[in-house]
Amino acid sequence: MNAPSDIQIHTKRRVLLLIVIGVFAVFIGRLYQLQLLYSKEFEDKSKENSVRVISTEPVRGYIYDRTGRLLVDNRPAFSVTIMPFEFDRASIPHLARLLSLEPAFIAERLKRGEAYSRFAPVKIKRDVNVETIAALEEHGELLPGVGYQTESKRFYPTPARATHLLGYTKEISEQQLRVLGSDYTQGDVSGAGGLEAHYERILRGQKGSELSTVNALGQVVGRYLDGAEDKRPIEGDDLLLTLDINLQAYAESLMTGRRGALVAMNARDGGVLAMVSVPDYNLSFFSGVTPPEIWSRLNSDTTAPLFNRATMTRYPPGSTFKMVLALAALQDSIVSPSWRVTCRGAIRVGTKVFKDLHVHGPVTMIDAIQKSCNVYFYELMLKAGLDPWHHMGTQFGFGQRTGIDLVEEQAGLLPSTSYMNRRYGPRGWTRGYLPNLGIGQGELGVTPLQMACYAMAIANSGTWHQPHLVRAIVNKRTGALDVLPFSTHRMEVSARHWLPVREGMRRVVEEQGGTGGLARIPGIQSAGKTGTAQNPHGPDHAWYIGFAPFENPRIAIAVLIENAGFGGSFAAPVAGHCLRFFLERDRLEEEDARPPSIMAASSLPAASSISGEGPR
Amino acid sequence: MTRYLREYFDLRVFLATLALVVIGLVSIYSATYDARASEIFWRQLTWSGIGLVAFLLVTFLPLRTIQYVALGTYALSLLMLVIVLLLGKTVAGSTSWFTLGSFGFQPSEFAKVGTILALAAFLSRSDISLRNPKHLALTAGIVVLPVLLVMMQPDTGTALIFMAMAFPVLYWGGASRFTLLALVAAPAVAVAALFGTTPFFLAVIILGILLALTSDNRVLTAAVFSMMVMVGISTQSIYDGLKPYQQKRIDAFLDPSADPLGAGYNILQSTVAIGSGGVFGRGYLRGTQTQLNFIPEQWTDFIFCVPSEEFGFLGATLVLVLFLLLLSRSLSLATTVKSRFASFVGIGVWGTLGAHVLINIGMSLGLLPVIGVPLPFLSYGGSSLISCMIMTGLMMNLYATRKEH
Repeated sequence: MNAPSDIQIHTKRRVLLLIVIGVFAVFIGRLYQLQLLYSKEFEDKSKENSVRVISTEPVRGYIYDRTGRLLVDNRPAFSVTIMPFEFDRASIPHLARLLSLEPAFIAERLKRGEAYSRFAPVKIKRDVNVETIAALEEHGELLPGVGYQTESKRFYPTPARATHLLGYTKEISEQQLRVLGSDYTQGDVSGAGGLEAHYERILRGQKGSELSTVNALGQVVGRYLDGAEDKRPIEGDDLLLTLDINLQAYAESLMTGRRGALVAMNARDGGVLAMVSVPDYNLSFFSGVTPPEIWSRLNSDTTAPLFNRATMTRYPPGSTFKMVLALAALQDSIVSPSWRVTCRGAIRVGTKVFKDLHVHGPVTMIDAIQKSCNVYFYELMLKAGLDPWHHMGTQFGFGQRTGIDLVEEQAGLLPSTSYMNRRYGPRGWTRGYLPNLGIGQGELGVTPLQMACYAMAIANSGTWHQPHLVRAIVNKRTGALDVLPFSTHRMEVSARHWLPVREGMRRVVEEQGGTGGLARIPGIQSAGKTGTAQNPHGPDHAWYIGFAPFENPRIAIAVLIENAGFGGSFAAPVAGHCLRFFLERDRLEEEDARPPSIMAASSLPAASSISGEGPR
Repeated sequence: MTRYLREYFDLRVFLATLALVVIGLVSIYSATYDARASEIFWRQLTWSGIGLVAFLLVTFLPLRTIQYVALGTYALSLLMLVIVLLLGKTVAGSTSWFTLGSFGFQPSEFAKVGTILALAAFLSRSDISLRNPKHLALTAGIVVLPVLLVMMQPDTGTALIFMAMAFPVLYWGGASRFTLLALVAAPAVAVAALFGTTPFFLAVIILGILLALTSDNRVLTAAVFSMMVMVGISTQSIYDGLKPYQQKRIDAFLDPSADPLGAGYNILQSTVAIGSGGVFGRGYLRGTQTQLNFIPEQWTDFIFCVPSEEFGFLGATLVLVLFLLLLSRSLSLATTVKSRFASFVGIGVWGTLGAHVLINIGMSLGLLPVIGVPLPFLSYGGSSLISCMIMTGLMMNLYATRKEH
């Protein structure tokens, strides 16, 4: 080497070559790490970078009554949106005028939307009418980035309201968003109350997704893989109800102007035929965007129209409850049906006096039910004690939720010995507490739905069906009809014990001296029991439970009218009219030889698009 | 003909250069592709043509001529660096451009060649010894002058290249181990201090021991040592004195995920681009990171991501192999040439190309902080391309004249 006269030139070359090789080894190692070991992770990241998902809304499932009549439909609704990156803030006042919104509201919504993405449309106003959309299009040049989306809103094409049982849909709250989980995002609609809430997952369907490729600025440059990985939304499944919409409408018309509830059930399977809670409200208020003044009016209304009285009230049932005690005493062989009590209009227990409305004289069990003699049941309760009564009440489903397919349901209260001990201490309550419970007064709380189930179980001589509103679900993908299973149980009551109780109830309606004569139906024997529940806050609550026809009952009913007075005067006629309405139409249908409760899915009108052109 | 070729034409260097230029054009085409070839691509193609002419010219110039004009070239590049500061165009906060019509010209790129030649010319004189403090100082001066001028533009990356290139030249020229250690001590401690107190102390201890072992002058050792400690301690205040964008780049390097949309963005997107390439790549013009512009100004400093994303591990490795070939070739040329001047030119080219490759690819792979240094032959930019081609042209020349004294 004659260049740099250094003898170590070859060593130096080796050192520098080693440096080069070292550096390149590190580079190759890093490439190996990035491109071979972790390439999957980086591919995902790169996809996340460049693919944006826009979800598409599924069509919400329809709801039909037992005859296939459409109760809940979808109608198109327009939402005004802003694409933040195209929008000019200077046009906010103009837009606010067109939409009659506060400019500050638009600015706020825009700000929140922008924080998420400048390239995703922000909803400014939902359920805008066609005229407004036309006006927006007319002013399109002055309103860059303003557009609209077509969505669907609920529409109710029947005369009946069925307010509380159907429920409504609304934009989900932040709290719900946390509960419902990842399938939902802000701005989505979900069921709020009633069937819409209980069957939310079924009605909703599944969101679809459209994938688009975006550049580093977030601008859409095309469809991802030409839409190969797009998912179409899956329509929500339809609900077929047990509800008879004609009976529902009729019952609503009878209850209009009152406060109370009515539940009518198919005695043979527990399917709810009608469920009324009044006062109610028009569900269409909630189908689009609910004006705040309607919200606050409904919320502050002292008659609580938002409250489903059929499943949520907790009133004492009054005399309608007497059959529980009668059956308990018979089943536990405490008395026989011929056991007699002489009614002198009142009895004294300790220092307390328990009154009756009339002096009934000597009465048997059948007489006592027919005439609603309190003294008989005071005496019987004292003889039987709390436990048999509680056991029988439990068998009828009191003090527990019935398990109906609604989100709102109260268990009510059926006092037991342990409850009384807890409440008053083991020695804090005496026999003096019992007589009132025997006639359905005192610390007893029941819902009209429980009362209808009770009437049904007596009608069936001890077969208790779980009440339900949905008979079957129509699977939109397969077209299959999934009939829902509901439970049924036989009560532990000997068959013969039902005879005097049912006979007493028949006489309530059909015989002279019965308290429920106003429930009578021409040509059809029915049975029932009136109740007048004392109420410390005002006039008595009127109760009636009943079933018809007496032999082979088809329908059971419970009616509650708040603060009306005597059950026999106010609740019984409402029940009677409903039973008659149903049975007469039912008879016509049977003559038509058309099986009313069985329908093949294929005979159902195909659920259609959101345009609302579905079956009426 | 073949005999002539074998004797005077370094086919390997020629083909490697050509291959890298072609890969560069292919990558720039992809990075700037938007339904059709971009203006940027056509310009780079033009520069490649001019570069090829310069390359062949340098290849066939007599070595003596080059040696003769070496200092003149250096002086001319210094002059241009001064003029650009006075008259140049400011791009992205840095005054480093002349414009001639629509073509820009960056004197700092040519100053690299000028400095290599000047160092080689100076150090090849037989009366110069790097053990002589005065000669050492003069040598340092040759490098420091352009570094200062480039720093005034300011262009930290290019200044770093000058210093990185000088180091192997000094090593080659016989500078003592102590000198070399003393040169790296302060920057090494400063970098260590950025990572924390423990690395700082470790670096000080290790370098202190090495300095003591190689020292022959205690006073000088003490001076270097204390300077090193001072630099380390004042790193924080130096860091505070940096421009915010420079601070961010350092922060992003220390932890790229800390600010993924800010300074760490380039590093993250670049590693995502490279990683998603996998073994065979995502296909030409089909890398989403490249095609959807996730890496800003990818055709300049982050060009390495394009072959890595679209041709995968195979493409990236090919680029590395080509650079490895050029670097090992320049080392062996520096070793085998008979002329001292030529040997220093070879090592200067090695240092310059090596420093570019190290800093640029290290940055693209997320191993080094973001420093604006182009990747030779691949990055867009005429001045860089031509000066790199002149450098491989010099290698060709060394091969052809390897037997001359």
